[in-house]
This record gives sequence, C-alpha cells and structure tokens, in this order.
Amino acid sequence: MSNESPGFFRQLPSALPGLALIIITMVVIRNWIEPWMAVTKVFGMQKPLTDAFHLNYILIGIIFGLLYRNVLFGGRMPEIFSNGFKLSRLMIKTGIIMLGSLYTFSAIVQLGSMAIFLIGGFVILTIIMVLWLGKVFGLDRSMTGVLANALSICGVSAAVATSPAVEAKASHVAYAIATILGFGILTMFISPFIGHTLGLTDLQYGAWIGTGILNSGQVLAAALAFNPNVAPGTAVSVAEIWNIMRVISIPFAVFAVTVWYWAGKTEIEGGKQKSLGTLLVEKFPVFVIGFMVMVLFTSMGAFGSVGLKGGLPPSETIKTLRLVMQWIFGFGLVGLGGYIDFKELRQAGGAPLKLGLIVGVTKYVLALVVVLLIKDSLVSI
Amino acid sequence: MANEVKPGSETIGAAGPKSKMTLFKDDRAEDIGAIIVTVIVVAIIVLLKMK
Repeated sequence: MSNESPGFFRQLPSALPGLALIIITMVVIRNWIEPWMAVTKVFGMQKPLTDAFHLNYILIGIIFGLLYRNVLFGGRMPEIFSNGFKLSRLMIKTGIIMLGSLYTFSAIVQLGSMAIFLIGGFVILTIIMVLWLGKVFGLDRSMTGVLANALSICGVSAAVATSPAVEAKASHVAYAIATILGFGILTMFISPFIGHTLGLTDLQYGAWIGTGILNSGQVLAAALAFNPNVAPGTAVSVAEIWNIMRVISIPFAVFAVTVWYWAGKTEIEGGKQKSLGTLLVEKFPVFVIGFMVMVLFTSMGAFGSVGLKGGLPPSETIKTLRLVMQWIFGFGLVGLGGYIDFKELRQAGGAPLKLGLIVGVTKYVLALVVVLLIKDSLVSI
Repeated sequence: MANEVKPGSETIGAAGPKSKMTLFKDDRAEDIGAIIVTVIVVAIIVLLKMK
C-alpha cells in the first residue's frame, strides 16, 4: 500500500487560504478582541475576562480554532482551509527553535539540571505506573505500551513513535491520543487559573506544567496563557526547557517500552525489536538541534544582549525576535485549536480512558506538589 | 496488518496520510522544515536590524 503524499512545496499553494484564515484570526484577536477584553465590564465586574478567567490571545486563539472546526465547519475542516491548518505544528516548532534566543548555555545548564531531575523521575514513574495499571485493568500489551509513552513523555508524538515498536493498531493509537488530548485540553484551560489562584511564580508554574501536562503544544499554550510575555524567566522559557528535556527522552522511553513489550512475548518475531542506537537515529527530534544552535548563537552574543536578570536590557534584535515569536506561537495555536475534534475525542472510553485519567491526574497533581515542595531549590534565570 | 501509523499522522482517530497533521512526509522532515524557516526568519530580522 502506498502512503505517498504530494511533496511539501507542491501542497504549499493550497495551504494559503487556511494560512490566511489563521493570520487574520490572530490579527483580529490581538488588535481588537484582546484590547476590548482589557477594558470591558461584565455584570458590574471590571475586566472579568482577563482578570478572573485569565483569557489572553493564546487561549482565545485556541478557542477560535476549536470553534472553526467544531461549530462553524461542522466537525470537519473544509478542504480549502485544511492544508493551511496543517502548518500549525511547523509554526510551533519554528517558535520553539527561536525560543533558543531566550537562553545562554549557563542558563540552560541551570534550568536543564533541574528539569532532568524532575522529568527523568516523572517519566520513569509514569511508565511503571501505566505498565502496572495496564496489567490490573487487563489491557492489551500493545495498548499499554502506547499509553505508557503517551502519558509519560510527549503525548501525541510519543504515542505515534511507540506504536510500530509494540505492534499497535491504529485504534490503539487513536484511543491513547484521544485520552491524552482530552485530558490535556482540560489542563490547558484550568492550569493558568490554578497557577494564578495559588500565586505561583513563572518559574514554579513553568516547572509544574512542563512536568504535569502531556502534550508539547498544550504545555506551550498553558505557559503563554499564564504569562504571554516571551522573555528569560517567564513561564514559557521555563516550561519549554522542561518540554525539550522530555522530547529528547522519546527514543529512550520508546526503547524501554519496546524491551518490556518483547520481553513479555512468548515467541519473538525476528528483527522487529530495534536497538537503542537505531531508535536514536530514527526518532531523535532534530528540531532540538536547531534550538541548541540558536542557544549557541545567543550565548556568543550574535543577537546582542539577551536581557537576563541583572544584565543589560535586551537588544533591538532580541526584542524583535520575541515579538515575532509571539505571533508565530499565536498562529500555531490557532491551528492547534483547529485540530481538536470533539467527535474524535469521544473515541476515548473504557479501560484506556480510566487508566489515562488516573495516571494523568496523578502526574498533574503530583508535579504541582513536588514543585511546591522544592520551590526554594528552583533556580531562576 | 502490523501497523499503518506513520510518524506525522497525528490527527486523533485517523492513521492514514489523509488526516496527517502536517504537510511534510513525516516528523523528521517537518523538524528540518522548521529549522529552515527559523534560519530565514532570523536572517531577515538580523538584516533589518543591521544598521
């Protein structure tokens, strides 16, 4: 069966209408809707949308994407806009690479060492918990394997990366993704509210959601929803280091779950289990290399002063980079909203949903508890 | 049938290329695309700010 699709450049012209819709949406939100929310009065309350519900251009953008797909277009993105919305992950990845301009190598080492400790611990504990609960609920081993990595590392990417290694069917992947995305959408909207209510700092909040939320796009959205500023020390700068650490661990976690899967099979079918080296080559997310190169250039002062705490203010180049990043993230997250399909989320159910919710909620709450316990040890940049 | 899921086929509930959440052939190609776009955007910003 051939799965070949036309090349990127051949599809690019057909992406323009969808791209235009995304751009127009974000321009309207940032120039008219957000300023209106900042002054509007509802039921005698001054600015309730921004002050009480903490809505900003990021959350509004996602809501617009959701409404386009699920309300305006009746659950299916029309052909004319479809390819444009497929550029949303490209935009999010581009923004994440550009985020490298927020850090110097010393800041990465400071944040990264904390992140490795938290992320590593949570990834291992989550895998163990899912494998155990999978046995308790009597789930198929392939389904358990996909859920283990989906819930421990990076949601959708991890589920897709694990599926061939554990012989998962498309339905397994669909169940796992529906479960984690359903849970993730909820956390994406409630986390900023919880963070503000608890009076968390950007550092504490970024560490919490970077550990507790399952999906890269949702981590980004929750961070920017808490504080839309893109600068060193803001929620997004912390959460994304956690996220990068987690993304890097994909090949290792895929290997661990693959070893578990094949160890439990009575007859090993030759050649199916891949080595860690092969998985590293095949699955390593190379956009992380782009991010590190960006950090290298920033550390060398290629873009001028970064604006770290106690240092010089950010250069004009860095300020422009951050402004562009905000727009790119805004565009990407409107597109992300357009990929949330309520009909498909209803596929989640039964034991996989139960397992997913138990593990997801445990991880989310435990991450908050751990961050609050170690808050004095967290190092700000 | 062992599996039909391709990297990049990330739309919920659909494993085929029809519902891929990317215009690229897989995640790796999309990562490289993001690096290229970043290089272009950063180069433009640096050139514009160069006086």
